[in-house]
Amino acid sequence: MKNSIQLSQKSTINAFLLFFIIHTAQIGVGIHGFQRIIYQDAKHDAWISVLLAGIATHIIAFIMIKTLEMYSSNDLYGIHQDVFGKWIGNFFNIIYILYCSAAFFSVLRNYIEVVQTWVFPNVNTWFLAATLLLIVMYTFTGGLRVIVGVSFFSLILSIWLLPMLVYPLKFMEPRSLLPILEADMSGILKGVQSMTFTIIGFEVLNVIYPFIKDKNNVRKYVHLGLLATTFIYVSVMLVSITYFSGDLLTKTIWATLSLFSIIKLPFVERFEYIAVCFWMLIILPNLCLYVWAAYRGTIRLVNVNATKFVWIFSLSIFIASLVVKNRTQINMVNNYFGQVAFYVIFVYPIFLYVVAVVKRKFKSHKEQIE
Amino acid sequence: MKKYRSYILYLLLLISLVGCAEKKLLEKVGLTTLIGYDLGNEDNVKTTAVVRQVNTEFQSQVAIITSENETSQGTRTKINRRSSKKIMAGQLRGVLFGEELARKGVGHYVDTLLKHSEMSGSVLLAVVEGQSKSLLEFEYPDIDDIGDHIYKLLEQNIKGEQMISSTLHEVGHDYYSPGRDIAMPILKKDKELIEISGVALFKNGEMVGKLSAKDSFYVKLIRDNYNTGKLEMMIKGDELPSSLMKNPSDRIDLVFDPIKTKKELKLVNQATPEFDLQINVKARLMEIKPYIDVGKPKNVAKLEKAIGKSLSEELSRVIALSQEADSDVFGFGEYYRSTVRHSDLTQEKWHGLYKEMKVNVHVDFTLLRSGIME
Amino acid sequence: MFNKKFKLSSAKKQPAAEGEKSKENEEKTKSTISPLKSVFIKSVGNAVHNSSDLKVKSIHPNLTLIYIDNLVDGEVLKKHIIHDLLGNTSESPENVLSVLSIPNAKLSGEIDGAITGMMDGTVLIHVEGYSQIVLANIPTKESRALSTPENESQVIGSQVGFNESLTTNISLVRRYIKNPDLCNEEIKVGERSNTAVSMLYIKGIASEEMINMLRQRITDIKIDSLLDSSILEQLIDDNSLSIFPQMLLTERPDKLCSELLNGKLGVIVDGSTMAIVAPHSFLEFFQSQEDINLRWQIATFARLLRFSAVVLSIFLTPLYVAALTFHYEVIPQTLLVTLSESRSLVPFPPLFEALLLELIIELLREAGIRLPSKVGQTIGIVGGIVIGTAAVQAGITSNILIIIVALGALASFTTPSYMMGNVIRIIRFPLILLAGYWGFYGIMFGFCFIIIHLLRQTSLGSPYTAPFYPPRVKDWRDSIIRMPLPFTFKRPSNTRPEDEDKYEPGPVNPEKNEQKVE
Repeated sequence: MKNSIQLSQKSTINAFLLFFIIHTAQIGVGIHGFQRIIYQDAKHDAWISVLLAGIATHIIAFIMIKTLEMYSSNDLYGIHQDVFGKWIGNFFNIIYILYCSAAFFSVLRNYIEVVQTWVFPNVNTWFLAATLLLIVMYTFTGGLRVIVGVSFFSLILSIWLLPMLVYPLKFMEPRSLLPILEADMSGILKGVQSMTFTIIGFEVLNVIYPFIKDKNNVRKYVHLGLLATTFIYVSVMLVSITYFSGDLLTKTIWATLSLFSIIKLPFVERFEYIAVCFWMLIILPNLCLYVWAAYRGTIRLVNVNATKFVWIFSLSIFIASLVVKNRTQINMVNNYFGQVAFYVIFVYPIFLYVVAVVKRKFKSHKEQIE
Repeated sequence: MKKYRSYILYLLLLISLVGCAEKKLLEKVGLTTLIGYDLGNEDNVKTTAVVRQVNTEFQSQVAIITSENETSQGTRTKINRRSSKKIMAGQLRGVLFGEELARKGVGHYVDTLLKHSEMSGSVLLAVVEGQSKSLLEFEYPDIDDIGDHIYKLLEQNIKGEQMISSTLHEVGHDYYSPGRDIAMPILKKDKELIEISGVALFKNGEMVGKLSAKDSFYVKLIRDNYNTGKLEMMIKGDELPSSLMKNPSDRIDLVFDPIKTKKELKLVNQATPEFDLQINVKARLMEIKPYIDVGKPKNVAKLEKAIGKSLSEELSRVIALSQEADSDVFGFGEYYRSTVRHSDLTQEKWHGLYKEMKVNVHVDFTLLRSGIME
Repeated sequence: MFNKKFKLSSAKKQPAAEGEKSKENEEKTKSTISPLKSVFIKSVGNAVHNSSDLKVKSIHPNLTLIYIDNLVDGEVLKKHIIHDLLGNTSESPENVLSVLSIPNAKLSGEIDGAITGMMDGTVLIHVEGYSQIVLANIPTKESRALSTPENESQVIGSQVGFNESLTTNISLVRRYIKNPDLCNEEIKVGERSNTAVSMLYIKGIASEEMINMLRQRITDIKIDSLLDSSILEQLIDDNSLSIFPQMLLTERPDKLCSELLNGKLGVIVDGSTMAIVAPHSFLEFFQSQEDINLRWQIATFARLLRFSAVVLSIFLTPLYVAALTFHYEVIPQTLLVTLSESRSLVPFPPLFEALLLELIIELLREAGIRLPSKVGQTIGIVGGIVIGTAAVQAGITSNILIIIVALGALASFTTPSYMMGNVIRIIRFPLILLAGYWGFYGIMFGFCFIIIHLLRQTSLGSPYTAPFYPPRVKDWRDSIIRMPLPFTFKRPSNTRPEDEDKYEPGPVNPEKNEQKVE
């Protein structure tokens, strides 16, 4: 392929690390409060929606890998250029870059909102944005090795948060889940669509694929990563439904953090204050992977070096974060972004795969005739 | 090198420009440990706050500040104006409602408390017989810190499973649940002491009745499963054949501990509705008066049966009492909702059914052991 | 410009390209030796600026010895060289060489090398009429007796430490590893000081790529003088701007040898009691040599204790500051009473209070180092107790903070490497500042920054955060835990060893099994 990526052995990463990349790219700010959004659609069957959304990610990831495998060592941007030609391909590339930037922005802005609500109501948005961007820039300039390292440590160092879900179980009412499948199918499916904002992130696979050393193991670790994410989302959802009663859950904006507020350890109370701050480490891979994905696309279009790119990128995100001022605006951004993301992540890959297959068939057919 | 310098520069810039976040220095804040809400004049709310302060002699002091305003948060600013330290509610442990206020409805207050990120879900809620202000303002000779004392009093009883649990989270849970109503402990000033005098029953966030402290055991028996706990009960003398006793009397008093229970609820009839409640109780006999020889298996079987029967009667009585008050503190409605498909249960709908509800109680009692002497 | 030269004391071959290069160099700088005695003496005298300890001794009219008085072993000079040469009649350098009964003697026709050699204790023997001289190396053997390592003491294991003599140090290493594959490359560093630097590695284990990299780094140094290995370490590590050391400095020969056997490289500098070990990952700085000597359960416990001490030491004071300044909600009720009562008299904000106390501890430590050892201990204890008690009574600090700060200081000293222990203590200060400004958010910011910083570092080209990232699960057996020896039969892959197996992973207790059969 003419525009495939040639890499030295040193800049590639182990397929094993894909597990961490996929998992940490998915889990971020969405997990703070996805329960209420899904619950509004699917009521106490919300966990089924989450499960279905998880299964959907597996299917999409399967198709993504199929598409990528057709171009042994190329990323989505290269595939676009190959499938649609230079001009249309680059147009799609720009859309994808904008999508990544929007995802980055939405994660950043939501996290800032959480910090301001729970911990520091008086700290300025721009200050929080600047500190977070500073850290992202420091990671990004270290290269892919450091970005992947951050995802790795992010998961390893935050794994202890999961057992904390045992504390709310004391107040659990398992009967809240019954009767199963009371909500109608449309409600559940609507819940699946609402899950988009929370469950996306695994599309980073599109960009990172050429950097994987042992490509035959990609499938295994991607699906393992998705499985882990689905497991965490479903268990958080189950705990939330049984912990909160219906109407209470629809009123609780960040149900996961409210779950944490009940935790009392001998040396610490009000665990959510720690959790909110600790979440910085959890959203860091989110942010870094998105900015990296945007960078990979940008260098296909214009010749720019990494440092320059990250400065321009951060500056524009920084300005954008000041424009969005209050909760309603943030929710609006989330809604629009969720809808766009649904088409970019759940619909578009299928379309791309079909086009790529057709094009290949057509090409080989032409070659045969010649 | 250049890169690092720029990073350090930026960090310094940030620190110098922004200064720091709003400080809440521990010694500069007055920590509210307990709040009492009472009904004031003209629908106002009268708030009594117990504020912990630390003076320079290494001693904690408690200040009790009262103010009145239209809103509960509004009283907070008023209290602030009367305190030398900034009033903060992050260490709030308990919220008390005066009975008068509780009867008018606590829903709004529960809502406000839940909204605040400062409040913990484990704050304990209770109702006070009379005014919470007078309960808090009285100078008890044996109590140093009334906020701490009331919290520990409630917590101890809840942990020991003597009283139903009423954390803010659980109250909020029940308040927003269509098939369950709030229940809170009732506190009472008894001369120079404070005691838990009963259980307040709510309907849609309004207090509608109360049960005695002893009955709270039965409420808990139906609501949750027991693991520890202690029960003192009485069986009528004619329930047991007089041959068991040396000196037959018309009442037998028993104390059990620790109790393990397992309950099973079944909806038999959706229309009425009708429930079958089966409870298995396992306990250790602590005290029995008059003496009955529990070494003989025959005696034990008879005693167990008598206790079981007596327990089910008591349970039915408590259920009937709450039905009368139209308050489903047991969560029968929640069970109804989770069993009946597409019930679309709302609070109004359930309360319509609740009055007609029938519960067939059956208790299986097992005596595990009886101390170290027979 | 100073000479870039390799002296290969071992017979191991050197990459061909570099060998040629140094040969060219030699030819350029070579200046011939005058066959005339007076001219030769004059040229040597000029080279050392007629230093007063330059001695010229004529044995015959034709035979002249030139040496620097304080550098040669007078006993050997008298008993061997002069004694041997007195009876010598036929006069040619070859003849002189054959007559000499000392092992370190050779012919040379080049004056620069001879004068450099003279600085190492070589006697120049000039024969009238020949443009070649005989160099006889008889340096004085003045060195401190071997003693126990002062900074890295351990209970179980060898009690010998390096001293200032390069030859002694190398002999110590060779005594542990009696293997011809143990290579010793000597490189001279320092334009003026001409310090001998020995690069040690085991051929067949250490990675060639790393050997070349380290050699390149050492030879590339352009520096005036090199007085200690700690300076060399700062010159050759991957990122000298980072606060974290990327190479280990150890004064234990057994530590150096065990690392050499793991496939690492060692560097010993003449005149320094510390050997450099590279590559060394962040985690390995917290592993003590004693961990291998102890039984695995105890070693694992010690390691876990050490790691939790490090975490505690870094984060305890910042957490105290953050909780008291911003997050009073997280303090449990029982602790709250004690905390607020102890803080009630303190006039300063927690940030200032903590910084003050941390600085006092650092002051005590610094004073303890500078003072003579006996006084130092007393000052440490007396100062600590007096200042601590007085500070609490005067109401400047709370007694809880004193406990926290003292605990943090104590914990930082459990780090086996002194260099890393320093880092652990210093890194607290920015974290305390961040905590004082932005509470938990600030601490988290600092924590993320440290993690990213560690991820960006490399040690001799290999990742600094190994074996955690990149994850090498096999190496986790000897990381924050230590599995029993039969499980740790592989060398750590961080060193990219040429030979991975330390030994065959046989049955756990082969002898016991045999006994059972009998």
